[in-house]
Amino acid sequence: MVRKTTRKPEDFLPLTPAMFHILLALADKERHGYHIMREVEERTSGNVKLGPGTLYGSVKRMIADGLIEELDERPAPDLDDERRRYYRLTDLGFRVAGAEAQRLEQLVRSARAKKLLPRTKTG
Amino acid sequence: MNKNPAEQRNIFLSLYSILLLAYPSQFRREYGTQMTLLLLDCQRKTRSGPPLIRLWLRTLLDLVSTVPVEHLQNMREEKSFMSKLRADLTAIGGCLLLTICAFLLLSYGRAHQVSAILVFGFALDAIAFTGLVGNLIVFLLAKFTTLKPLRVALWTFLVLTGVTLLTLLAIGGRLDPKFNATGVTIGYIVSFFFWYGLHWLWAQIGPHQRSSVST
Repeated sequence: MVRKTTRKPEDFLPLTPAMFHILLALADKERHGYHIMREVEERTSGNVKLGPGTLYGSVKRMIADGLIEELDERPAPDLDDERRRYYRLTDLGFRVAGAEAQRLEQLVRSARAKKLLPRTKTG
Repeated sequence: MNKNPAEQRNIFLSLYSILLLAYPSQFRREYGTQMTLLLLDCQRKTRSGPPLIRLWLRTLLDLVSTVPVEHLQNMREEKSFMSKLRADLTAIGGCLLLTICAFLLLSYGRAHQVSAILVFGFALDAIAFTGLVGNLIVFLLAKFTTLKPLRVALWTFLVLTGVTLLTLLAIGGRLDPKFNATGVTIGYIVSFFFWYGLHWLWAQIGPHQRSSVST
């Protein structure tokens, strides 16, 4: 069930790490659960492994919040199990992912200013 | 006696399908099949031996840590603690399931002298017992007093774990000649951190979930 929301992207922040990883995984294309899990694992060099409960618990909340949605049709119906469900980002999901990325970027900038991280080369 | 890898994978998949009963029924109906498919895919892509065992342990740990979260979420969404009899029964059923799993693991661990399984069994046993008793106490205190729930949870589980553990250490050896004091101690320590960790998590996600429900 999707809740009608008039909330701004900032209202959703901070996201849980699992939610942010799922949004990132869906940012470039629609995926099913196993693809999301693999994408996160590969992108983080195996440091983040989403279990089934964590993944689908987050998916449930993100659908309810209107951040992602389930596709009515599977992209490759002949190639995989028909029971699989594919998910994609909604417009709100894109904006929330962007807002979270900006928030994290700001934190990194603060960490740099405090010399907790090396400065990036500019120019 | 040794089962081939395909059989082992099927057995674990069946066990996982049964363990999914611990989730709230609505969540299970909605995502149970997807979760089983996900595990099936993971098993297909994982080599036998240690990597597969690591996958199983990770999956069980994920289940144990997300079942209570889903039940708490379910209760919050319905904004009713007392009227959620079915959810309470499911939670009790989950704890009973943990107790049965603990019993089976302990029996197996004892019969085959597998210490890792024994310790896991002790932890499940302690989690089931302190979960049933401790959460009931926390619920009643949080409901009928003005004490802070997180503080109530901390002291309840600390006292319950301490008293139960000390009692078991004092009389366990007399009741059971094979009583494993180290295993029981580790089990209760794990149980304390498990339940207090969940209550802490509950307190952390509270404000966000409240606002999302009210919109």
